[in-house]
Amino acid sequence: MSPHHLNPSSLKSRFTTRFLRALTNINAQNPISSSSPREILQRYRRIKVAADKSMAYSVRSRRTWSRAMRWKLRSRSWRQASSVRRLKITTTCHQAIMKKTAHERESKTTTGEEVGFGVQTDGLRELVPGGEAMDICNLLDETAHYIKCLTTQVQREQIAS
Amino acid sequence: MAMSSISMYNKPSNASDPFFGSSWDPIVSLSQSESLVGSSMVSHSEFANSHYPLLMENQGITSTAHFSQYQSDPSFVELVPKLPGFGSGNWSEMVGPFSLPQCGQIANGKCPQNYALNTEVGNERACTNSTQSRDEHQLSDEGVVGASPNGKRRKRVPESNSPLRSYQNADEEPQKDPSGESSDVPKGQDEKIQKTEQITGVNSRGKQIAKQAKDSSQTGEAPKENYIHVRARRGQATNSHSLAERVRREKISERMRLLQELVPGCNKITGKAVMLDEIINYVQSLQQQVEFLSMKLATVNPELNIDLERVLSKDILHSRGGSAGILGFGPGLNSSHPFPPRIFPGTISGVPSTNPQFPPLPQTVLDNELQNLFQMGYDSSSAMDSLGPNAGRLKSEL
Repeated sequence: MSPHHLNPSSLKSRFTTRFLRALTNINAQNPISSSSPREILQRYRRIKVAADKSMAYSVRSRRTWSRAMRWKLRSRSWRQASSVRRLKITTTCHQAIMKKTAHERESKTTTGEEVGFGVQTDGLRELVPGGEAMDICNLLDETAHYIKCLTTQVQREQIAS
Repeated sequence: MAMSSISMYNKPSNASDPFFGSSWDPIVSLSQSESLVGSSMVSHSEFANSHYPLLMENQGITSTAHFSQYQSDPSFVELVPKLPGFGSGNWSEMVGPFSLPQCGQIANGKCPQNYALNTEVGNERACTNSTQSRDEHQLSDEGVVGASPNGKRRKRVPESNSPLRSYQNADEEPQKDPSGESSDVPKGQDEKIQKTEQITGVNSRGKQIAKQAKDSSQTGEAPKENYIHVRARRGQATNSHSLAERVRREKISERMRLLQELVPGCNKITGKAVMLDEIINYVQSLQQQVEFLSMKLATVNPELNIDLERVLSKDILHSRGGSAGILGFGPGLNSSHPFPPRIFPGTISGVPSTNPQFPPLPQTVLDNELQNLFQMGYDSSSAMDSLGPNAGRLKSEL
């Protein structure tokens, strides 16, 4: 009937199970008693994080963007949960990584210029998580996979609502 | 004749035969004039040329199972028994009787790697000669630089029928060979490398020609291909840089084509710039959709008894409306915003069917968020200033 869920290990089913689990957890933790905007916002944030997280973990870090997203989520949770020291560590690590990737990007854009893409790929790099460090070839690859996963996410969320 | 014996390596295409016919004659004549086995090198170029028939027949010996016609050339036939038990791994025995100089300083920096690759590559060649997978080529990737000169050597024979091809080749590739003096370093290794590369060249050419049969360009001469081994196209620069660039460009365009299929409504668009813009817009809109839906989930869902079956059943229903259905509400709620029709061609029709839950939602909070979401997407950065604190918080979470 549904080709998607026939394969129990497909991306869609993995994402679905994780996401649903996360949603039920969130709902269990915070039952909607009031509809104050703040609470709704909190829930929204949590759900968004849950969606991103479940997607990123479903992809199992085979892809650069999922790794970058996981890293972002993890650092964000550290930032929220813990001390200033951890925050400093993460930010310094992140800065080091960003510098490195900036260097890489410089060296790569010089070779990428010839293809005629130079300027617009920056927009794409911002969008795709982890896109700063990749050359155009890989960036396009990651974008394709990312688009696929985003469509999956949207479909599932739509159903869940 | 040499032509037929060589043509068997290029089974799928016969158009290469004239190529071989024209090019191999000098070689055959040379080889026939000399005695290959146990001979010391007479001249640099001649011996270099004589590599080819030697390797050809070695190839033939290892893969006689695959090829039917082999003994048509009398010179080859008499040479066959002189190379007994030639297996794929017997490169050393092959190399032994021949004191092979470095006719082309080929991939000298990569000697040790190719040394290791040798037997591997040779074994694989023996096993499947007619069906070369790309992995093999990747295995012998180290031999690319070395193999391609051989390939180029062979391919340009019709263009320049000089018996001094090896010299020509050496001249053409100063950049591939920064350390010409390292050719003195193990000659045995280099010889093996040479053989490997030449076999590589043979087989890759065979495969290329198979590929050429699919391509439209069939002159029988300079083959075009986009493997890891890149040959110079006819009439194009043979600079290694331009070749690499061409490979890169083709990879990129291939990926762009894939993306074009993914992004809806991009079939008519030609041109990378516009395509990129479309892709960026699409990714942005997808991200917004995710946010939007998660916001919706945050407000709507106390009754989250969803299990997979329900999701399954709804999946079928919703797959028609598609993910664009949600954003069909855009015009309804935010009529002021220009809705880019090209990205979501099917949205308006999807509005009534897919989201019956929307009207009862608390409009106040959602309105703000929705406005902010849409503003973020469609008016890129200019709208950011006008957004309220909610949106500011939203954006900071991103």
